Amino acid sequence: MKLLLALLPVDHFVIMTVYALLVSVFFAFLWRSERRERLVLFAKILGALVLGGLAVAWLMYPFPS
Amino acid sequence: MTAAGAGRSTNPWIAVLLAWIFPGLGHAYLGRRRTAVVYALVVTLTFVLGMSFQGRLYTIEPGQPLSILATFAVFGAGLLNIAGRVLSETPGGNVLAVTYEYGCAYLLTAGLMNLLLMLDAYDLAVGRKA
Repeated sequence: MKLLLALLPVDHFVIMTVYALLVSVFFAFLWRSERRERLVLFAKILGALVLGGLAVAWLMYPFPS
Repeated sequence: MTAAGAGRSTNPWIAVLLAWIFPGLGHAYLGRRRTAVVYALVVTLTFVLGMSFQGRLYTIEPGQPLSILATFAVFGAGLLNIAGRVLSETPGGNVLAVTYEYGCAYLLTAGLMNLLLMLDAYDLAVGRKA
């Protein structure tokens, strides 16, 4: 476990992107059966999660912690 | 009981039970080996990363109704959840860790993914999903 943590940098963006990747792959396989359809859904979910995360982060930027 | 995609007789409840025990096992039972491997890898990696990030394997706490839902979610991970509780030094997570919240999110997601896989295995076994 500690080795895995050492391999993965503790960076908000990396952790969020890895999460988005895992969720995208999961739902692409769960909801679609054709290869091309899976790729399209994977790209859509990944884009929505990563870009949505960045958009929310940008909107929250002016607020103090 | 009913025929799955593999064209052989399968019991939907065995598929659901296997799916709960380990991610993808229910789909492997139904003859979907390739997707079973993908599900096993994705859910297990999500869970292991959650443990690495020192997230919390929730338990029900008095006065904390949301902890019931969180506990239900992490118990969805089946044997992974049990192994995590037995093998981890800190199954309750480390609140002081920078990655604690991320770890919790990863662990909850792994459990919820596996709950979806159980439902999917049932649908496949009864022929509700092609």
